[in-house]
Amino acid sequence: MKRFLSLALCASLAILSACNKSPESGSSNASGGKKLTIALMPKSKGNAYFISCKAGADEAAKELNVDLLFDGPTDPDPAKQNEIIENWTTLGVDVIAAACENKEGISTALKKARSKGIKVVTYDSDANPDARDFFVNQATPEGIAETLMDEAARLTDSEGEFAIITASLTAANMNEWRKHIEARLAEKYPKMKLVDTKPCDDLKDKAQAEATNLMSAYPNLKLIMAICSPAVPGAAEAVKQAGKTGAVKVIGLGLPSENRKYVHEGVTQSVVLWKTKDLGYLTIHAAADLANGQLKPGAKEYNAGRLGTLKIEGDSIVLGKPFIFNKDNIDQFDF
Amino acid sequence: MQKYSRELSVAIVLALLLLVMAVAAPAFYDPQPLLSRLAREAPTLIVACGVALVMVAREIDISIGSIFALCGVCAGLLAGSGWPLIAVFGAVVVLGAVLGAMNGALVAGLRLPSIVVTLATMVILREGLRWKQQGAFINLPDAWQWFGLSQRGGQWALIAGALIILAVLAWASRHLAGGRFLYAVGSNAEAARLAGLRPRWITLAVFVFMGALAGLAALLNVVQSPQVDPKSGTGLELKAIAAAVVGGVAVSGGRGNLWGVFVGVLLLACINPALTYLHVEAYWEKAIQGAIILLAVIFDGLRNRRATN
Repeated sequence: MKRFLSLALCASLAILSACNKSPESGSSNASGGKKLTIALMPKSKGNAYFISCKAGADEAAKELNVDLLFDGPTDPDPAKQNEIIENWTTLGVDVIAAACENKEGISTALKKARSKGIKVVTYDSDANPDARDFFVNQATPEGIAETLMDEAARLTDSEGEFAIITASLTAANMNEWRKHIEARLAEKYPKMKLVDTKPCDDLKDKAQAEATNLMSAYPNLKLIMAICSPAVPGAAEAVKQAGKTGAVKVIGLGLPSENRKYVHEGVTQSVVLWKTKDLGYLTIHAAADLANGQLKPGAKEYNAGRLGTLKIEGDSIVLGKPFIFNKDNIDQFDF
Repeated sequence: MQKYSRELSVAIVLALLLLVMAVAAPAFYDPQPLLSRLAREAPTLIVACGVALVMVAREIDISIGSIFALCGVCAGLLAGSGWPLIAVFGAVVVLGAVLGAMNGALVAGLRLPSIVVTLATMVILREGLRWKQQGAFINLPDAWQWFGLSQRGGQWALIAGALIILAVLAWASRHLAGGRFLYAVGSNAEAARLAGLRPRWITLAVFVFMGALAGLAALLNVVQSPQVDPKSGTGLELKAIAAAVVGGVAVSGGRGNLWGVFVGVLLLACINPALTYLHVEAYWEKAIQGAIILLAVIFDGLRNRRATN
């Protein structure tokens, strides 16, 4: 409350002293004199995925005129994440935005930061709900599953056999996706048939072996849907080696960089993922607006600059439907 | 005949499985996927032969999957920086041997239990690789896939290479002094020492050899795809040890035959595709593999009891 009062006071002083200032610049930089400092934490610094998130974060920071700190462990390390958050808390940044490696581990440190008046958002992977104000959710399980299933249907004219390769039959997030894929299938595509679901232990080599067997065991197979990232190039290599490029389509959830070659060769038709740059942009945008009071708990919608108006489900801001990378656009993305 | 009863019984199980497949799902024998499956098992066979020799010497090495991954990543990086095939081949074999020597020195030099030493090196190497690579794939130069041969030619070359190594090792372990020493040390290290052998040097040597084979196997795996997955080889140690156990290599040392290991590799390699072709859900795969290993161990236990009675 004290913080809010001082912010309000600063804001009114700023408006009084600079009456000609436009209201937009005032709202994105509420304290007038003092720039907001937002600290952004990836799961690990060297990871191409998070580097791409940071590019979007830089864009938002520039647009909103806020200072951006970017730091994280060199490899995914929950203890190191806590250490950095404690440093940021001592430093007194305005907002912390974190992708959490370990939900339980990081929540204590984040709660401590909140008790000091620092706003907290999480992105990519969430902390406990009481440890942050908002979660910037890159995609809902329904969104991922429906995009994959609709894309599979589009590529096969909504009929014929397809198979799924997953990481393991026990991975909670993938089972959630599979549940929604099967629901979408039952609801919208009666002429399509899911013939088999194979685990690849998150290994490219095993995915390649599984895809080789699937194509031969189900000669009418028209598409392989790979829902863990190493399985997409693995399945593509199998299709290529079997000489079935184009006859058996490959789609999946993965990184554009690992699949670019196969997409250009026409082996893999579509790679589904969110735009990581937009995720970084939205995270910083929401962090800034949270600090200056534009984004309040309980809001149902959020106007996120160039991304337009986004839905808020509970306390997660949803980035929207995943993005489909294909031959035409994949070269624009470097992660 | 009695001596090879174990190897024969595994071979009979394999033959039955192949027969069932011939009747129930002839597509199992389609040439392209069959060749691809066999080529994919070539590195597994080499690693399984190595670990079988380690087990004969009454040790174990569970770091082989991590050595395999590290050598694969190195092969990819060296190939990417323009090294010729033969130089990369030499480099990964030497790297594997050095990593194996590290295990061997700790086990033989400090007399530490090999399961603990190799557990530690397995984790260190795997996590080190994760830290270095962050899971990112390494792209190989185009000419590297299949050693620059055609796909079919490359696959045959891999299979032939693995079979030659198997045959040489199987013969050498039976007929060369070094091979016989392994059995002697594995059966009774103290007796071997009294007979004038130096068990600790032999232990060191078998770990070095294991590492070199893991490096070679990594290279044979790398050439099968245009990208190297730094996670490759995860679980390879279990696959190789299971194949050795099923093939009749005694965990207690001193017993085992590499041809039996060969049959063990083939049997375990057939289970997963067989389930796919028979349209059985993947939930059963690991349970069936576990059951086969358990049966093999029970078989050994019963035989040992008969022998002691």
